[in-house]
Amino acid sequence: MQAHVDGLAWQQPRWRLLVQFLGSMRLAVSLLVLLAIASVIGTILSQQQPYQNYAMQFGPFWFSVYRELGLYNVYRTLWYTAIVAFLVLSTATCVTRNSPRMLREMREFPIRQRDTVILGQDHWVRMATALPMAQAQERILQVLRAAGYKPRVEQKDGDMAIAARKGRYHRLGYFLTHIAIVVICAAALYNADVPVKWAEWQGTLKPEQNFDLPLSKIPRTAWMSQNNPAYRGIITLPEGQTANAVFELAGNGYLVQPLPFRIHLQSFHISYYSTGMPKDFTSRVVLFSPQGKVLKTGNVRVNHPMSYDGVYIYQSSFSDGGSLLHMKTYLLGASGAAPGELSGRVGQTLHAGHSGYAVDLKNFNLYNIVPKAAVGEKATPDHPTLNLGPSFTYIIHNPNGQAAEFKTYMTPMRRGGQGFFVQGYREALGDAYRYIYIPTGPNGGIGLFMDYLAALQSAARTGANASQAIFTETFQQVVARHAPGMSTTEQSRFLQASMQTLVQLHDYPMPFILSLSSFDHRWAAGLQVTKWPGTIVIYWGCVALVLGIFILFYIPQKRIWLRLRPQGQESEGVELLLGASADRNRLDFTKEFKRWTGTLEQALGVDHAEYKEQKDGQHTR
Amino acid sequence: MANTRVESWTELSPEPSWWAQWKLRDWAWFAGLSIAAGIILGLYGSSFGYWQFVVLGAWYSALLVAGLAWRPVQLASIGIVLPALLAVWLYSIGQTTTNDILLRDVLQGYAAVMWMSALLLAATACYLFYLFTGREWVGQWATALTWAGVIMGFIGLGVRWRETYLGHPDWGHIPVSNLWEVLVLFCASTPLFYLYYEKRNEARALGAFVMPLVAAGVGFLLWLTFAQHMDQIEPLIPALQSFWMKLHVPMMFVGYANFTIASLIGVGYLLTERSRRRGSGLLLRVMPSSEVMDDVMYKAIALGFLFFTVATILGAVWAAKAWGGFWSWDPKETWALIVWLNYAGYLHARVVKGWRGSAMAWWSFMSLWVVSFCFLGVNMFLSGLHSYGKL
Repeated sequence: MQAHVDGLAWQQPRWRLLVQFLGSMRLAVSLLVLLAIASVIGTILSQQQPYQNYAMQFGPFWFSVYRELGLYNVYRTLWYTAIVAFLVLSTATCVTRNSPRMLREMREFPIRQRDTVILGQDHWVRMATALPMAQAQERILQVLRAAGYKPRVEQKDGDMAIAARKGRYHRLGYFLTHIAIVVICAAALYNADVPVKWAEWQGTLKPEQNFDLPLSKIPRTAWMSQNNPAYRGIITLPEGQTANAVFELAGNGYLVQPLPFRIHLQSFHISYYSTGMPKDFTSRVVLFSPQGKVLKTGNVRVNHPMSYDGVYIYQSSFSDGGSLLHMKTYLLGASGAAPGELSGRVGQTLHAGHSGYAVDLKNFNLYNIVPKAAVGEKATPDHPTLNLGPSFTYIIHNPNGQAAEFKTYMTPMRRGGQGFFVQGYREALGDAYRYIYIPTGPNGGIGLFMDYLAALQSAARTGANASQAIFTETFQQVVARHAPGMSTTEQSRFLQASMQTLVQLHDYPMPFILSLSSFDHRWAAGLQVTKWPGTIVIYWGCVALVLGIFILFYIPQKRIWLRLRPQGQESEGVELLLGASADRNRLDFTKEFKRWTGTLEQALGVDHAEYKEQKDGQHTR
Repeated sequence: MANTRVESWTELSPEPSWWAQWKLRDWAWFAGLSIAAGIILGLYGSSFGYWQFVVLGAWYSALLVAGLAWRPVQLASIGIVLPALLAVWLYSIGQTTTNDILLRDVLQGYAAVMWMSALLLAATACYLFYLFTGREWVGQWATALTWAGVIMGFIGLGVRWRETYLGHPDWGHIPVSNLWEVLVLFCASTPLFYLYYEKRNEARALGAFVMPLVAAGVGFLLWLTFAQHMDQIEPLIPALQSFWMKLHVPMMFVGYANFTIASLIGVGYLLTERSRRRGSGLLLRVMPSSEVMDDVMYKAIALGFLFFTVATILGAVWAAKAWGGFWSWDPKETWALIVWLNYAGYLHARVVKGWRGSAMAWWSFMSLWVVSFCFLGVNMFLSGLHSYGKL
């Protein structure tokens, strides 16, 4: 609300100046604008990324400057919170300062006003009528009532005052909206766990930066209190496992929040649409008391959280929970050798014999419906996607320390009657995958091609030229040895496909290929656990906000004051001065005013009425 | 002489009571709505949850009030609901877009949207023609075409809603789930609100400012259709499968529509003021007074602000259900907050400080960029939780 300028500000005590500053419109609007601008930052710079990403993006100097400014988590910085707090303080001051006056206005409505006040209204009219006082009063009341007002009358010393108003509770809108803002922001600050921030600032709480520690090894300084009033943490639980704490990201590290119960993930399930798009993610969860009693069993789904005792559990993400993979290893060009066997769980690092090569099993995907374009296939409107079955992602390190990432699909892709084993690889994380397609033999495996490759290489070693005849001849030998049942069409398809694969293999970075033979799948669900006791306060704050806005816009306060005075000795008639204002929708009120003052003129038989001159030189009528 | 006037005034009853203003059609409207609500309750009431009753009640009262406050809503609602129901019925008796010409060329969601686009483009041309010539009949055509476009747009959305269930019942969802669908909603609702302001203020020339942006929206929609093939119906990702989407998104678009109208009236205001300063120009002939424009601008922003606030709150409640937090500082949320702060500033300046005129028209106009960025820019340039609106 507008500050009332009380003249000589410097004569007032300091605290009053401070209050005036805090409650001033200028400060409020400045803070609104400042907050809007500050908010933009966090939308341009993606927030809460790992610090290495920022360091790579900005270089060491700007990285540290931005870090000091808190730009990687703008909305949780002290300075941002301070702007919000200032806005809340300013709004609160404004409400406190305006309350007495507005409450008084709402409660009391003086019928008798001084002429200067009436002439100070947005509209006024002065007219004289020949009707006597009683009759004039009667008709005025009729007109006002017809216009929907409930006029009140006060008579004193021969003159008469009439007043009416609508929208008495208009000011309530002001209270509701502004108090709602204060309440919502206060509850939000409470939810943003101010006590934790305080403890962090005090140094009694220290975020842990090592993400590989098991729960039991995390130092106590990173643990928050069990009685923490509000928190929001994440836990990734593999199927069949139980946890009693969640993690909350803080700066470059994390904090641990113990829970009042233990969460056990029985199973995790994804259902799919026919297009291959996920339709639902469901975690089957059991809650145990610390003593091991079952507290609650149920499903946690997206949009359907589970609640227990004020704590809410949400389905937030999913990942592989350590699936067991059985793989075959094919050495490129090793003649005759049967493929090697390799087994391990996702998340483990495997060593391929004593070769010095290491395989990091990164991830496993049960289901791959991919857009055809993603594997270099041409999409048709009817069949834009391709089912490639399960896939696994891994990184191979060679003994020299070079590494490449691979993504191998289990189900062969069919193209022109020929099956292809699909494998993507890239030598840097930011690159797009490049794909090689290896033709599969009659048994659906890549063994035939591997044999062919080995045979070609040994042929090359024995001095054969890379001629068409040699390729075909070698192929015939390999087929005779391994797949005598292949038809000629199959053979020619396979041979043709092999030629392309041989070219693709030129750039292939490692000397062997892994294929997936079987797996034992295990999911992990990312669950978010929150406790927000301020929620109900926020809901009521929101209700108040909406109600307040509605009142402010659509229940305007309209006030009318009239004064009737006898004209003088020689006439029975009366003089009338009428003033009226509306504090919203003034243009509508101008029309309304014109309408019923016109009626009033007729009702009173007035020949001449003097209306307030409008600023732009137009009369109100 | 004076006396006769005194006696006759009572016959000019000044403000007839609210009930007395109800005409036959209003009673019919009331009865029709009640019957429709009754039928819905009778058919589906047993499967309704608590919120469905609230929503039905809200629709019932909103349509009732809107129809009484602005009578064209009555006919328009009928003009939307009956053809949409016809299409639903045609689908239910096994007709398809290949064997039924009415479905294929008119009533099918996609076809109706194409009709909407054509009608709105034609309406825009008429409004511009009206602005330059001042011919009344052109203006009437402009209004009629806009109405037709709005009706076709909502028929399209209604029928598409049904179409999402056809062939794959588990896909069904209200058609506000991707950029194409919300753009249809935008193109249909902005002219609808504009028509209200036009009628209320007898200010047809404003259409020449509002409709070109709608036409631009239609152009964007056509581009998405023909170049991006975004008109395909797709199932919903799990995060969007919520009852709250039905409330959050349409209410947002009441806000966007009104903010857009206010911004473009701001443009009209500024150009009219410019011609007034120069003392010439065709704008002075047809444009409404600056007082009226200022007022419409304020009212559109006020209505938009109310709905935008409600929609943002509903979004926060939804986020609390789906993501476990009211406010995640996702770019879309943050930009919604920026829009909200911007208009909160506008309203304070106008109502408390009493600012009027060109400064406020500029403010209103510049806000268009903030609103557009929130609506489209965020999805195009920034990534976040609202990424499903992506191009």
